[in-house]
Amino acid sequence: MTKTVIPVGPFHPLLEEAESFTLKVDGETVVDVELDIGWMHRGHEYLSEGRTFTQSIYLIERICGICSTSHPLACVHAIEDVDHIEIPERAAYIRTLIGELERIHSHLLWLGLAGHFIGYDTVWMWAWKWREPVLQMFETISGNRNHYGMMLVGGVARDINPDDIPGLQKILNEIESKLAMIAKAVPDDPVLKSRLKGVGVLTKQAAIDFCAVGPTARASGVPIDVRKDEPKDAYGWVDFQAIVLPNGDVYDKLVLRVLETFESIKIVRQCLEKLKTLSGPILNNVKEIGVGEGIGRYEAPRGEVFHYVRTDGTNRPIRHKIRAPSYVNIPTFAASCIGVPVADALITLASVDPCYCCTERAIRVITPDNDPLDMDLLRLSREKTERLRRDIHG
Amino acid sequence: MSWSKKRLAKSLWVFHVSASPCNNCDIEILDLLTPRYDVERFGVKLVGSIRHADVILLSGVINQKVAPMVKHLYKQAPKPIFVVGVGTCPTSGCCFKDSYNIVPRREDVIPIDVYIPGCPPKPEAMIEALAKLMGVLRGK
Amino acid sequence: MANKDDFLRALGPKIGRTVEKQGRLYFEVADKNLTEVAVYLFRTMGCRLSTATAMETYHGLEVLYHFSHDATGWYYCPRVVIPDKVHPRVTSITPVIRGAEWIEREMAEFWGITFEGHPRPERLLSKDHPQRLDKPFRFRRMS
Repeated sequence: MTKTVIPVGPFHPLLEEAESFTLKVDGETVVDVELDIGWMHRGHEYLSEGRTFTQSIYLIERICGICSTSHPLACVHAIEDVDHIEIPERAAYIRTLIGELERIHSHLLWLGLAGHFIGYDTVWMWAWKWREPVLQMFETISGNRNHYGMMLVGGVARDINPDDIPGLQKILNEIESKLAMIAKAVPDDPVLKSRLKGVGVLTKQAAIDFCAVGPTARASGVPIDVRKDEPKDAYGWVDFQAIVLPNGDVYDKLVLRVLETFESIKIVRQCLEKLKTLSGPILNNVKEIGVGEGIGRYEAPRGEVFHYVRTDGTNRPIRHKIRAPSYVNIPTFAASCIGVPVADALITLASVDPCYCCTERAIRVITPDNDPLDMDLLRLSREKTERLRRDIHG
Repeated sequence: MSWSKKRLAKSLWVFHVSASPCNNCDIEILDLLTPRYDVERFGVKLVGSIRHADVILLSGVINQKVAPMVKHLYKQAPKPIFVVGVGTCPTSGCCFKDSYNIVPRREDVIPIDVYIPGCPPKPEAMIEALAKLMGVLRGK
Repeated sequence: MANKDDFLRALGPKIGRTVEKQGRLYFEVADKNLTEVAVYLFRTMGCRLSTATAMETYHGLEVLYHFSHDATGWYYCPRVVIPDKVHPRVTSITPVIRGAEWIEREMAEFWGITFEGHPRPERLLSKDHPQRLDKPFRFRRMS
């Protein structure tokens, strides 16, 4: 029996990246998940070792478009860790500002997709509509909606014009009020609660065993957050909370991301206030990097991004290791997807917020005897929501 | 033939193929459907199956593993089909040109009709490209 | 709270050359002691495995593990040097830490290292690759 099932992917219209899962189902329940990745593999580590440090930052940005700041930030942290390079205070605040704005845009993106998968298309349109002002803020600050090119070893590349700050603050207030409206709708909706509570549970022990990171781990009660564990840039100077929730199901992951977005808005507000009055350079011009090794990490919207750099005194790294957070989060499907009804499979897979620039996506469904079944998981997921809505509202 | 092309231009149905992209172009393509840019007012619709599509929106540098899938997809597509390469990746390979895992020439895998450079191209640029494609089909 | 000094005291004789920097401890470990060090770091100290880096050096191949102690923000990095370039082997820590499964599969695929005791030693990123790959992706010197 041939394994390729072209109609369901690896290219599916709303799962932007290519990724391939094989779900083994027995009746209505998922009994096993197998993953087939490698469709995105472009050889970043190899390419980075042939470029100078500054050139590789341009390359590293293009690992992922959604977490486009996280990888360069982790990369410059790693290079700065080799020689313990300090950065100016103004640069630290600008870095934190960009990082947190990116978290807001990424969580709004996920919220939209989650809404689409369970059949709330209005949530999708609203979340993405209110993502646009965030991209507008990026364009004001850096000149581009994504791939900002702001990070350099020793600081940032571009400064923020103080005249722009009142405009940015106004946009931020608008986003916050709209987000508060969406956030109020979530806990009050009984259909959403019954659809998502208790679905796709990842226990605390499983999260520790799989070394999960980010919201996937925090929603299961594991209190890890790089911003608090090893505060770099301006994270030691701003006031915010790392949210941890106990249940580990999809509902908790949703609530966690919404609460984190509010915390990010708080941080962005503090950074903008500080940047109004703080003066100083934005770049510590580093002329050479010595011999040694450096580890750098950053809390991306999906978890800890890890970069390791080994240098030999020249202007190129001799080894650059990159580990994106989805690489450790995706194997947790083996623990959270087993025993889940097929209609919930899609939302469970999406709740980890896989950034598939590391993977590919299309879901193949097979029986325990490896025969392929033709199942439209998106339709099944939406039908289940409709059934629940009818049961609750009558 | 030109009459059927004119008819096609009235409402182009697109199918999105992401062949090893960094995802930015894909998010910008999905952004086209959202209220700010709203490409549905031009009759452009995102479809779920290649059999219904008139235009393939290709993003990404095509890597060795995904190349046979892209070829297969192009063969399955009902002709006439137009391929739009979104972003700098299908145009020139962007910064991944020297990688060991990508195809040396994307045109050997799938013939591309329209290139939209940019990393990522702004949604306005994508709308302009689709409008140009519609103009060409209408014979302007 | 467990810290670096407790760690060095507990595993002293098993650890080779150590390099200590601000918040980072790199130390050499022989392959036969690797499982014990990993168990101590993961279970006793409560560290989390971030990832592992395989590298080709002048002396052969080297595998560097990165354990993050989230309570203090320190990184503990055991280094295993593999002098055998023809059939490089390391003991797998996947039976102890489930999260290491994909990390070790990637290193096996790209560098040709055999992880002894790994439950699923299949290709990860290049499964069903259209070209026949008889050499690992990144290992340049085979002799």
